[in-house]
Amino acid sequence: MRAGFIFSEVWIGLRRNATMTIALIVTVAIGMALLGIGMMINTQVSSAKNYWTDKVEISVFLCQKNSPFDNCKGKGGITQAQKAKLEQQIKAMTEVERVEFEDQAQAYENFKQQYANNSVLVAATRVEDMPESFRIKLKNPENYGNVIETLQKAEGVSQVVDQRKIVDNFFGFLGTLRSSALIVALIQVFAAILLIGNTVRLSAYNRRRETAIMRLVGASNLYIQAPFVLEGMVAGLIGGVISGFMLVAAKIVIFDGMQNYLVAAARMTWEDVAIVIAFTMAVGVLICVIASFVTLRRYLKV
Amino acid sequence: MIHFNNVTKTYPNQNRPALDRVSVDVDKGEFVFLVGPSGSGKSTFLRLILREEKPDSGTIHVAGKDLSRLSNFKVPHLRRRIGCVFQDFRLLPNKNVYENVAFALEVIGKPRRFIRKVVPEVVELVGLEGKAHRMPHELSGGEQQRVAMARAFVNRPMILLADEPTGNIDPATSIGIMKVLDRINRTGTTVVMATHDAAIVDSMRKRVVELEDGRIVRDQSRGVYGQAY
Repeated sequence: MRAGFIFSEVWIGLRRNATMTIALIVTVAIGMALLGIGMMINTQVSSAKNYWTDKVEISVFLCQKNSPFDNCKGKGGITQAQKAKLEQQIKAMTEVERVEFEDQAQAYENFKQQYANNSVLVAATRVEDMPESFRIKLKNPENYGNVIETLQKAEGVSQVVDQRKIVDNFFGFLGTLRSSALIVALIQVFAAILLIGNTVRLSAYNRRRETAIMRLVGASNLYIQAPFVLEGMVAGLIGGVISGFMLVAAKIVIFDGMQNYLVAAARMTWEDVAIVIAFTMAVGVLICVIASFVTLRRYLKV
Repeated sequence: MIHFNNVTKTYPNQNRPALDRVSVDVDKGEFVFLVGPSGSGKSTFLRLILREEKPDSGTIHVAGKDLSRLSNFKVPHLRRRIGCVFQDFRLLPNKNVYENVAFALEVIGKPRRFIRKVVPEVVELVGLEGKAHRMPHELSGGEQQRVAMARAFVNRPMILLADEPTGNIDPATSIGIMKVLDRINRTGTTVVMATHDAAIVDSMRKRVVELEDGRIVRDQSRGVYGQAY
Protein backbone atom coordinates (compact mmCIF):
# COMPACT_ATOMS: atom_id res chain seq x y z
CA MET A 1 0.00 0.00 0.00
CA ARG A 2 1.48 3.28 -1.07
CA ALA A 3 0.01 5.69 1.47
CA GLY A 4 1.70 8.76 -0.01
CA PHE A 5 0.27 8.05 -3.44
CA ILE A 6 -3.26 7.53 -2.13
CA PHE A 7 -3.17 10.67 0.01
CA SER A 8 -2.03 12.80 -2.91
CA GLU A 9 -5.00 11.41 -4.88
CA VAL A 10 -7.33 12.27 -1.98
CA TRP A 11 -5.97 15.79 -1.76
CA ILE A 12 -6.41 16.33 -5.50
CA GLY A 13 -9.95 14.97 -5.27
CA LEU A 14 -10.90 17.24 -2.37
CA ARG A 15 -9.49 20.29 -4.13
CA ARG A 16 -11.29 19.54 -7.37
CA ASN A 17 -14.63 19.41 -5.51
CA ALA A 18 -13.77 22.27 -3.16
CA THR A 19 -17.30 23.75 -2.97
CA MET A 20 -18.90 20.37 -2.43
CA THR A 21 -16.33 19.47 0.20
CA ILE A 22 -16.89 22.71 2.10
CA ALA A 23 -20.66 22.20 2.03
CA LEU A 24 -20.15 18.70 3.37
CA ILE A 25 -17.79 19.84 6.11
CA VAL A 26 -20.17 22.58 7.27
CA THR A 27 -23.13 20.20 7.28
CA VAL A 28 -21.25 17.57 9.23
CA ALA A 29 -19.93 20.17 11.68
CA ILE A 30 -23.38 21.59 12.43
CA GLY A 31 -25.03 18.20 12.56
CA MET A 32 -22.45 16.77 14.92
CA ALA A 33 -22.41 19.90 17.09
CA LEU A 34 -26.18 19.63 17.55
CA LEU A 35 -25.92 15.93 18.27
CA GLY A 36 -23.25 16.77 20.84
CA ILE A 37 -25.37 19.49 22.43
CA GLY A 38 -28.25 17.05 22.66
CA MET A 39 -25.96 14.59 24.40
CA MET A 40 -24.61 17.27 26.74
CA ILE A 41 -28.13 18.25 27.72
CA ASN A 42 -28.80 14.60 28.39
CA THR A 43 -25.77 14.31 30.63
CA GLN A 44 -26.79 17.49 32.40
CA VAL A 45 -30.34 16.33 32.95
CA SER A 46 -29.34 12.96 34.32
CA SER A 47 -26.71 14.34 36.70
CA ALA A 48 -29.10 17.06 37.87
CA LYS A 49 -31.91 14.55 38.24
CA ASN A 50 -29.76 12.22 40.33
CA TYR A 51 -28.91 15.12 42.55
CA TRP A 52 -32.46 16.29 42.87
CA THR A 53 -34.21 12.98 43.33
CA ASP A 54 -33.17 12.62 46.96
CA LYS A 55 -33.37 16.36 47.58
CA VAL A 56 -36.89 16.92 46.43
CA GLU A 57 -39.04 17.83 49.34
CA ILE A 58 -41.90 20.06 50.35
CA SER A 59 -40.85 23.32 51.95
CA VAL A 60 -43.22 24.92 54.40
CA PHE A 61 -42.09 28.50 54.80
CA LEU A 62 -43.08 30.24 57.99
CA CYS A 63 -44.27 33.77 58.54
CA GLN A 64 -41.82 36.35 59.82
CA LYS A 65 -42.23 39.96 60.77
CA ASN A 66 -43.14 41.94 57.70
CA SER A 67 -43.63 38.87 55.51
CA PRO A 68 -45.20 40.06 52.27
CA PHE A 69 -47.33 36.96 51.82
CA ASP A 70 -51.13 37.18 52.12
CA ASN A 71 -51.25 34.43 54.77
CA CYS A 72 -49.08 36.42 57.16
CA LYS A 73 -50.22 39.99 56.62
CA GLY A 74 -51.04 41.85 59.81
CA LYS A 75 -50.23 38.83 62.01
CA GLY A 76 -46.53 39.43 62.63
CA GLY A 77 -44.15 36.50 62.85
CA ILE A 78 -45.02 32.97 63.85
CA THR A 79 -45.06 32.31 67.59
CA GLN A 80 -43.16 29.51 69.29
CA ALA A 81 -46.47 27.88 70.25
CA GLN A 82 -47.70 27.94 66.68
CA LYS A 83 -44.41 26.53 65.48
CA ALA A 84 -44.61 23.60 67.95
CA LYS A 85 -48.22 22.96 67.03
CA LEU A 86 -47.39 22.97 63.34
CA GLU A 87 -44.55 20.51 63.84
CA GLN A 88 -46.91 18.17 65.74
CA GLN A 89 -49.44 18.45 62.95
CA ILE A 90 -46.87 17.58 60.27
CA LYS A 91 -45.48 14.66 62.21
CA ALA A 92 -48.99 13.28 62.67
CA MET A 93 -49.56 13.02 58.91
CA THR A 94 -49.28 9.47 57.57
CA GLU A 95 -47.69 10.57 54.27
CA VAL A 96 -44.71 12.19 55.94
CA GLU A 97 -41.47 10.26 56.23
CA ARG A 98 -39.49 12.81 58.17
CA VAL A 99 -39.46 16.53 58.83
CA GLU A 100 -36.64 18.90 59.60
CA PHE A 101 -36.64 22.44 60.79
CA GLU A 102 -34.41 24.87 58.97
CA ASP A 103 -33.64 28.07 60.85
CA GLN A 104 -32.44 31.32 59.35
CA ALA A 105 -28.70 30.64 59.80
CA GLN A 106 -28.95 27.26 58.15
CA ALA A 107 -31.07 28.62 55.34
CA TYR A 108 -28.45 31.30 54.75
CA GLU A 109 -25.67 28.68 54.59
CA ASN A 110 -27.57 26.64 52.01
CA PHE A 111 -28.32 29.77 50.07
CA LYS A 112 -24.64 30.77 50.02
CA GLN A 113 -23.64 27.35 48.81
CA GLN A 114 -26.29 27.20 46.14
CA TYR A 115 -25.44 30.62 44.71
CA ALA A 116 -21.67 30.41 45.23
CA ASN A 117 -21.13 31.67 41.68
CA ASN A 118 -23.28 34.71 42.21
CA SER A 119 -21.34 36.73 44.77
CA VAL A 120 -23.39 39.87 44.18
CA LEU A 121 -26.58 38.12 45.18
CA VAL A 122 -24.95 36.52 48.23
CA ALA A 123 -23.47 39.83 49.36
CA ALA A 124 -26.83 41.59 49.06
CA THR A 125 -28.62 39.03 51.21
CA ARG A 126 -28.56 39.05 55.01
CA VAL A 127 -29.29 36.22 57.40
CA GLU A 128 -32.43 38.04 58.59
CA ASP A 129 -33.82 37.92 55.05
CA MET A 130 -33.89 34.17 55.04
CA PRO A 131 -37.19 32.49 55.92
CA GLU A 132 -37.53 29.72 58.47
CA SER A 133 -39.07 26.55 57.13
CA PHE A 134 -40.00 22.96 57.73
CA ARG A 135 -38.53 20.61 55.17
CA ILE A 136 -40.78 17.61 54.65
CA LYS A 137 -39.72 14.44 52.97
CA LEU A 138 -42.66 12.35 51.81
CA LYS A 139 -42.79 8.58 51.83
CA ASN A 140 -44.15 8.69 48.31
CA PRO A 141 -43.39 11.97 46.52
CA GLU A 142 -46.50 11.52 44.35
CA ASN A 143 -48.83 12.11 47.32
CA TYR A 144 -48.03 15.75 47.80
CA GLY A 145 -51.46 17.18 46.96
CA ASN A 146 -53.20 16.52 50.29
CA VAL A 147 -50.21 17.56 52.40
CA ILE A 148 -49.83 20.86 50.61
CA GLU A 149 -53.53 21.64 50.83
CA THR A 150 -53.68 21.01 54.58
CA LEU A 151 -50.52 22.89 55.48
CA GLN A 152 -51.35 25.86 53.29
CA LYS A 153 -54.26 26.65 55.67
CA ALA A 154 -52.27 26.20 58.90
CA GLU A 155 -51.55 29.14 61.20
CA GLY A 156 -48.26 30.96 60.68
CA VAL A 157 -47.48 29.36 57.30
CA SER A 158 -46.54 31.84 54.61
CA GLN A 159 -46.15 29.52 51.66
CA VAL A 160 -45.87 25.82 50.80
CA VAL A 161 -43.56 25.04 47.92
CA ASP A 162 -43.32 21.68 46.22
CA GLN A 163 -39.85 21.57 44.71
CA ARG A 164 -40.92 18.90 42.27
CA LYS A 165 -42.84 21.50 40.34
CA ILE A 166 -39.81 23.76 39.93
CA VAL A 167 -37.52 20.89 39.05
CA ASP A 168 -40.03 19.43 36.62
CA ASN A 169 -40.38 22.75 34.84
CA PHE A 170 -36.62 22.97 34.51
CA PHE A 171 -36.30 19.43 33.22
CA GLY A 172 -39.20 19.94 30.86
CA PHE A 173 -37.42 22.92 29.33
CA LEU A 174 -34.17 20.99 28.96
CA GLY A 175 -36.03 18.06 27.46
CA THR A 176 -37.59 20.24 24.77
CA LEU A 177 -34.20 21.77 24.04
CA ARG A 178 -32.64 18.35 23.71
CA SER A 179 -35.38 17.01 21.42
CA SER A 180 -35.12 20.00 19.10
CA ALA A 181 -31.31 19.73 18.98
CA LEU A 182 -31.53 16.04 18.15
CA ILE A 183 -34.19 16.54 15.48
CA VAL A 184 -32.13 19.21 13.73
CA ALA A 185 -29.05 16.98 14.09
CA LEU A 186 -30.94 14.17 12.40
CA ILE A 187 -31.92 16.45 9.50
CA GLN A 188 -28.29 17.52 9.18
CA VAL A 189 -27.12 13.93 9.11
CA PHE A 190 -29.62 13.21 6.36
CA ALA A 191 -28.38 16.24 4.40
CA ALA A 192 -24.79 15.12 4.95
CA ILE A 193 -25.57 11.70 3.52
CA LEU A 194 -27.10 13.24 0.40
CA LEU A 195 -24.12 15.57 0.04
CA ILE A 196 -21.72 12.66 0.33
CA GLY A 197 -23.65 10.87 -2.39
CA ASN A 198 -23.22 13.88 -4.64
CA THR A 199 -19.56 14.33 -3.76
CA VAL A 200 -18.81 10.73 -4.55
CA ARG A 201 -20.62 11.01 -7.86
CA LEU A 202 -18.64 14.12 -8.82
CA SER A 203 -15.45 12.48 -7.68
CA ALA A 204 -16.18 9.35 -9.65
CA TYR A 205 -16.84 11.46 -12.74
CA ASN A 206 -13.70 13.55 -12.28
CA ARG A 207 -11.63 10.46 -11.79
CA ARG A 208 -13.25 8.24 -14.41
CA ARG A 209 -10.10 8.02 -16.55
CA GLU A 210 -7.89 7.14 -13.61
CA THR A 211 -10.42 4.59 -12.38
CA ALA A 212 -10.70 2.96 -15.80
CA ILE A 213 -6.92 2.60 -16.03
CA MET A 214 -6.66 1.34 -12.48
CA ARG A 215 -9.16 -1.38 -13.29
CA LEU A 216 -7.29 -2.21 -16.46
CA VAL A 217 -3.86 -2.60 -14.92
CA GLY A 218 -5.25 -4.69 -12.07
CA ALA A 219 -5.38 -2.33 -9.12
CA SER A 220 -7.22 -3.99 -6.25
CA ASN A 221 -10.69 -2.77 -5.30
CA LEU A 222 -9.21 -1.37 -2.12
CA TYR A 223 -6.86 0.84 -4.11
CA ILE A 224 -9.64 2.02 -6.40
CA GLN A 225 -12.10 2.73 -3.60
CA ALA A 226 -9.74 4.06 -0.97
CA PRO A 227 -9.44 7.62 -2.35
CA PHE A 228 -13.24 8.01 -2.42
CA VAL A 229 -13.76 6.68 1.08
CA LEU A 230 -10.81 8.65 2.42
CA GLU A 231 -12.21 11.83 0.88
CA GLY A 232 -15.41 11.27 2.86
CA MET A 233 -13.38 10.44 5.94
CA VAL A 234 -11.20 13.55 5.74
CA ALA A 235 -14.28 15.75 5.25
CA GLY A 236 -15.98 14.02 8.18
CA LEU A 237 -12.89 14.48 10.34
CA ILE A 238 -12.55 18.17 9.55
CA GLY A 239 -16.28 18.63 10.22
CA GLY A 240 -15.85 16.73 13.48
CA VAL A 241 -12.98 18.93 14.61
CA ILE A 242 -15.03 22.05 13.87
CA SER A 243 -17.99 20.60 15.77
CA GLY A 244 -15.58 19.90 18.64
CA PHE A 245 -14.76 23.60 18.83
CA MET A 246 -18.48 24.42 18.68
CA LEU A 247 -19.13 22.06 21.58
CA VAL A 248 -16.37 23.62 23.67
CA ALA A 249 -17.97 26.99 22.97
CA ALA A 250 -21.39 25.57 23.88
CA LYS A 251 -20.05 24.26 27.19
CA ILE A 252 -18.62 27.67 28.07
CA VAL A 253 -21.47 29.84 26.83
CA ILE A 254 -24.61 27.79 27.42
CA PHE A 255 -23.86 25.24 30.10
CA ASP A 256 -21.48 27.22 32.31
CA GLY A 257 -23.92 30.12 32.08
CA MET A 258 -26.81 27.90 33.07
CA GLN A 259 -24.84 26.37 35.92
CA ASN A 260 -24.99 29.55 37.93
CA TYR A 261 -28.44 28.26 38.75
CA LEU A 262 -27.33 24.74 39.56
CA VAL A 263 -25.52 23.33 42.57
CA ALA A 264 -21.92 22.20 42.12
CA ALA A 265 -22.77 18.50 42.33
CA ALA A 266 -24.92 18.71 39.21
CA ARG A 267 -22.42 20.53 37.00
CA MET A 268 -21.02 19.14 33.79
CA THR A 269 -17.27 18.53 33.81
CA TRP A 270 -14.77 18.92 30.94
CA GLU A 271 -14.44 15.17 31.05
CA ASP A 272 -18.10 14.83 30.07
CA VAL A 273 -17.49 17.28 27.22
CA ALA A 274 -14.44 15.34 26.02
CA ILE A 275 -16.46 12.13 25.87
CA VAL A 276 -19.22 13.87 23.92
CA ILE A 277 -16.71 15.38 21.46
CA ALA A 278 -14.96 12.05 20.90
CA PHE A 279 -18.30 10.34 20.35
CA THR A 280 -19.66 12.93 17.89
CA MET A 281 -16.40 12.94 15.91
CA ALA A 282 -16.51 9.17 15.65
CA VAL A 283 -20.16 9.32 14.54
CA GLY A 284 -19.36 12.03 11.95
CA VAL A 285 -16.47 10.07 10.46
CA LEU A 286 -18.41 6.84 10.51
CA ILE A 287 -21.42 8.35 8.76
CA CYS A 288 -19.18 9.84 6.05
CA VAL A 289 -17.24 6.61 5.51
CA ILE A 290 -20.33 4.42 5.37
CA ALA A 291 -22.20 6.83 3.09
CA SER A 292 -19.17 7.08 0.76
CA PHE A 293 -18.80 3.34 0.67
CA VAL A 294 -22.46 2.71 -0.08
CA THR A 295 -22.80 5.37 -2.79
CA LEU A 296 -19.48 4.29 -4.27
CA ARG A 297 -21.08 1.07 -5.41
CA ARG A 298 -23.62 3.00 -7.44
CA TYR A 299 -21.20 5.20 -9.32
CA LEU A 300 -18.03 3.14 -9.49
CA LYS A 301 -17.84 -0.18 -11.24
CA VAL A 302 -15.02 -2.25 -9.88
CA MET B 1 -1.80 -19.25 -22.54
CA ILE B 2 -5.31 -18.39 -23.79
CA HIS B 3 -7.75 -21.23 -24.21
CA PHE B 4 -11.37 -20.80 -25.37
CA ASN B 5 -13.54 -23.91 -25.37
CA ASN B 6 -16.95 -23.63 -27.03
CA VAL B 7 -17.51 -20.14 -25.70
CA THR B 8 -20.85 -18.40 -26.34
CA LYS B 9 -21.65 -14.87 -25.19
CA THR B 10 -24.92 -13.05 -25.78
CA TYR B 11 -25.38 -9.52 -24.46
CA PRO B 12 -28.66 -8.67 -22.74
CA ASN B 13 -31.42 -7.53 -25.14
CA GLN B 14 -29.60 -8.94 -28.14
CA ASN B 15 -31.01 -11.88 -30.01
CA ARG B 16 -27.78 -12.75 -31.84
CA PRO B 17 -24.77 -13.94 -29.82
CA ALA B 18 -21.65 -11.75 -29.94
CA LEU B 19 -19.55 -14.90 -29.82
CA ASP B 20 -20.99 -18.23 -30.94
CA ARG B 21 -19.35 -21.47 -29.84
CA VAL B 22 -15.82 -20.19 -30.25
CA SER B 23 -12.91 -22.54 -29.56
CA VAL B 24 -9.37 -21.29 -29.98
CA ASP B 25 -5.94 -21.86 -28.43
CA VAL B 26 -3.17 -19.30 -28.22
CA ASP B 27 0.20 -20.58 -27.00
CA LYS B 28 2.75 -18.74 -24.95
CA GLY B 29 4.78 -16.30 -26.99
CA GLU B 30 2.46 -16.35 -30.01
CA PHE B 31 1.48 -13.27 -32.02
CA VAL B 32 -2.14 -13.45 -33.18
CA PHE B 33 -4.12 -11.05 -35.36
CA LEU B 34 -7.83 -10.99 -34.72
CA VAL B 35 -9.57 -9.75 -37.87
CA GLY B 36 -13.15 -9.38 -39.03
CA PRO B 37 -15.69 -6.65 -39.73
CA SER B 38 -17.07 -4.40 -36.98
CA GLY B 39 -19.47 -6.27 -34.74
CA SER B 40 -17.92 -9.63 -35.55
CA GLY B 41 -16.97 -10.22 -31.92
CA LYS B 42 -13.33 -9.11 -31.71
CA SER B 43 -13.82 -6.75 -28.79
CA THR B 44 -15.99 -9.26 -26.96
CA PHE B 45 -13.20 -11.79 -27.36
CA LEU B 46 -10.73 -9.39 -25.73
CA ARG B 47 -13.17 -8.40 -22.97
CA LEU B 48 -13.72 -12.05 -22.10
CA ILE B 49 -9.97 -12.56 -21.70
CA LEU B 50 -9.87 -9.60 -19.30
CA ARG B 51 -12.95 -10.94 -17.53
CA GLU B 52 -14.75 -7.68 -18.14
CA GLU B 53 -17.52 -10.03 -19.27
CA LYS B 54 -18.41 -13.59 -18.40
CA PRO B 55 -19.41 -16.13 -21.05
CA ASP B 56 -22.90 -17.64 -21.07
CA SER B 57 -21.44 -21.07 -21.75
CA GLY B 58 -18.09 -22.66 -22.46
CA THR B 59 -14.85 -22.31 -20.54
CA ILE B 60 -12.00 -19.84 -20.79
CA HIS B 61 -8.51 -20.41 -19.40
CA VAL B 62 -6.10 -17.50 -19.26
CA ALA B 63 -2.54 -17.87 -17.92
CA GLY B 64 -3.47 -21.22 -16.41
CA LYS B 65 -6.57 -19.91 -14.60
CA ASP B 66 -10.14 -21.04 -15.23
CA LEU B 67 -11.94 -17.71 -15.44
CA SER B 68 -15.35 -19.17 -14.58
CA ARG B 69 -13.94 -20.25 -11.24
CA LEU B 70 -11.99 -17.07 -10.58
CA SER B 71 -13.50 -15.05 -7.73
CA ASN B 72 -14.10 -11.33 -8.22
CA PHE B 73 -11.52 -10.77 -5.55
CA LYS B 74 -8.80 -12.31 -7.73
CA VAL B 75 -9.69 -10.57 -10.99
CA PRO B 76 -7.21 -7.70 -10.36
CA HIS B 77 -4.41 -10.25 -10.10
CA LEU B 78 -5.41 -11.71 -13.44
CA ARG B 79 -5.36 -8.26 -14.99
CA ARG B 80 -1.87 -7.60 -13.70
CA ARG B 81 -0.68 -10.35 -16.03
CA ILE B 82 -2.41 -8.78 -19.02
CA GLY B 83 -1.41 -5.51 -20.68
CA CYS B 84 -3.91 -3.52 -22.75
CA VAL B 85 -3.58 -1.03 -25.58
CA PHE B 86 -6.51 0.75 -27.22
CA GLN B 87 -7.27 2.76 -30.33
CA ASP B 88 -7.82 5.90 -28.20
CA PHE B 89 -4.60 5.56 -26.09
CA ARG B 90 -6.39 6.32 -22.78
CA LEU B 91 -3.57 8.36 -21.26
CA LEU B 92 -4.09 10.64 -18.26
CA PRO B 93 -3.96 14.17 -19.69
CA ASN B 94 -2.64 15.79 -16.52
CA LYS B 95 0.31 13.43 -16.13
CA ASN B 96 3.50 13.40 -18.19
CA VAL B 97 4.92 10.37 -19.99
CA TYR B 98 6.87 9.11 -17.00
CA GLU B 99 3.94 9.61 -14.61
CA ASN B 100 1.51 7.90 -16.96
CA VAL B 101 3.68 4.81 -17.09
CA ALA B 102 4.50 4.94 -13.38
CA PHE B 103 0.77 5.21 -12.54
CA ALA B 104 0.23 1.60 -13.64
CA LEU B 105 2.78 0.46 -11.06
CA GLU B 106 1.77 2.87 -8.30
CA VAL B 107 -1.83 1.65 -8.25
CA ILE B 108 -0.75 -1.95 -7.79
CA GLY B 109 1.40 -0.92 -4.86
CA LYS B 110 4.91 -1.32 -6.32
CA PRO B 111 7.65 0.37 -4.28
CA ARG B 112 8.97 3.70 -5.49
CA ARG B 113 12.53 2.43 -5.96
CA PHE B 114 11.34 -0.28 -8.30
CA ILE B 115 9.27 2.24 -10.28
CA ARG B 116 12.24 4.60 -10.69
CA LYS B 117 14.27 1.75 -12.08
CA VAL B 118 11.87 0.11 -14.54
CA VAL B 119 9.91 3.03 -15.96
CA PRO B 120 12.89 4.62 -17.79
CA GLU B 121 13.80 1.21 -19.22
CA VAL B 122 10.35 0.71 -20.70
CA VAL B 123 10.14 4.29 -21.95
CA GLU B 124 13.35 3.59 -23.84
CA LEU B 125 12.06 0.23 -25.11
CA VAL B 126 9.11 1.92 -26.84
CA GLY B 127 11.44 4.54 -28.34
CA LEU B 128 10.55 7.60 -26.26
CA GLU B 129 13.91 8.23 -24.60
CA GLY B 130 14.33 11.94 -23.83
CA LYS B 131 10.56 12.54 -23.85
CA ALA B 132 9.74 11.28 -20.36
CA HIS B 133 8.68 14.71 -19.14
CA ARG B 134 6.44 15.65 -22.06
CA MET B 135 2.71 15.93 -21.50
CA PRO B 136 0.42 13.78 -23.69
CA HIS B 137 -0.90 16.81 -25.64
CA GLU B 138 2.65 17.67 -26.65
CA LEU B 139 3.06 14.29 -28.36
CA SER B 140 1.97 12.98 -31.76
CA GLY B 141 -0.60 10.20 -31.99
CA GLY B 142 2.10 7.62 -32.62
CA GLU B 143 4.11 8.79 -29.64
CA GLN B 144 1.01 8.71 -27.43
CA GLN B 145 0.37 5.12 -28.47
CA ARG B 146 3.97 4.30 -27.54
CA VAL B 147 3.31 5.70 -24.07
CA ALA B 148 0.21 3.50 -23.81
CA MET B 149 2.29 0.49 -24.87
CA ALA B 150 4.95 1.33 -22.30
CA ARG B 151 2.23 1.49 -19.64
CA ALA B 152 0.77 -1.84 -20.78
CA PHE B 153 4.17 -3.51 -20.76
CA VAL B 154 5.84 -1.94 -17.73
CA ASN B 155 4.62 -4.67 -15.37
CA ARG B 156 5.98 -7.34 -17.78
CA PRO B 157 2.60 -8.99 -18.47
CA MET B 158 2.37 -12.48 -19.93
CA ILE B 159 -0.22 -11.32 -22.43
CA LEU B 160 -0.62 -8.06 -24.32
CA LEU B 161 -4.04 -7.29 -25.80
CA ALA B 162 -4.20 -4.58 -28.45
CA ASP B 163 -7.59 -3.37 -29.69
CA GLU B 164 -6.96 -1.66 -33.02
CA PRO B 165 -3.82 0.08 -31.78
CA THR B 166 -3.14 1.63 -35.18
CA GLY B 167 -6.75 2.74 -35.77
CA ASN B 168 -5.98 6.43 -35.14
CA ILE B 169 -2.52 6.47 -36.65
CA ASP B 170 -1.27 7.03 -40.20
CA PRO B 171 0.26 4.04 -42.04
CA ALA B 172 3.86 5.25 -41.84
CA THR B 173 3.70 5.71 -38.06
CA SER B 174 1.84 2.42 -37.70
CA ILE B 175 4.93 0.55 -38.85
CA GLY B 176 6.82 1.97 -35.85
CA ILE B 177 4.02 0.86 -33.52
CA MET B 178 4.11 -2.64 -34.99
CA LYS B 179 7.88 -2.75 -34.48
CA VAL B 180 7.38 -2.02 -30.79
CA LEU B 181 4.68 -4.72 -30.55
CA ASP B 182 7.03 -7.14 -32.30
CA ARG B 183 9.82 -6.22 -29.86
CA ILE B 184 7.45 -6.89 -26.94
CA ASN B 185 6.44 -10.20 -28.51
CA ARG B 186 10.10 -11.22 -28.80
CA THR B 187 10.51 -10.91 -25.01
CA GLY B 188 8.15 -13.90 -24.78
CA THR B 189 4.92 -11.96 -24.28
CA THR B 190 1.87 -13.36 -26.02
CA VAL B 191 0.29 -10.65 -28.20
CA VAL B 192 -3.33 -10.63 -29.41
CA MET B 193 -4.13 -7.73 -31.69
CA ALA B 194 -7.56 -6.93 -33.09
CA THR B 195 -7.29 -4.89 -36.27
CA HIS B 196 -8.82 -3.74 -39.54
CA ASP B 197 -5.45 -2.82 -41.02
CA ALA B 198 -4.92 -5.20 -43.95
CA ALA B 199 -1.50 -3.81 -44.88
CA ILE B 200 -0.11 -4.50 -41.42
CA VAL B 201 -1.51 -8.02 -41.22
CA ASP B 202 -0.17 -8.84 -44.65
CA SER B 203 3.29 -7.48 -43.92
CA MET B 204 3.74 -9.27 -40.57
CA ARG B 205 2.80 -12.78 -41.76
CA LYS B 206 1.64 -13.93 -38.32
CA ARG B 207 -1.21 -16.17 -37.24
CA VAL B 208 -4.61 -14.75 -38.26
CA VAL B 209 -7.93 -15.61 -36.63
CA GLU B 210 -10.90 -14.26 -38.55
CA LEU B 211 -14.28 -13.76 -36.90
CA GLU B 212 -17.59 -13.21 -38.64
CA ASP B 213 -20.90 -12.85 -36.81
CA GLY B 214 -19.34 -14.27 -33.70
CA ARG B 215 -17.87 -17.37 -35.31
CA ILE B 216 -14.34 -18.26 -36.27
CA VAL B 217 -14.31 -18.57 -40.05
CA ARG B 218 -10.53 -18.85 -40.48
CA ASP B 219 -7.54 -19.68 -38.31
CA GLN B 220 -4.34 -19.61 -40.28
CA SER B 221 -0.70 -19.48 -39.25
CA ARG B 222 1.38 -16.97 -41.26
CA GLY B 223 -1.87 -15.66 -42.76
CA VAL B 224 -2.98 -12.53 -44.57
CA TYR B 225 -5.87 -10.14 -43.89
CA GLY B 226 -8.38 -11.46 -46.40
CA GLN B 227 -8.25 -14.59 -48.53
CA ALA B 228 -9.76 -12.71 -51.46
CA TYR B 229 -6.51 -10.92 -52.03
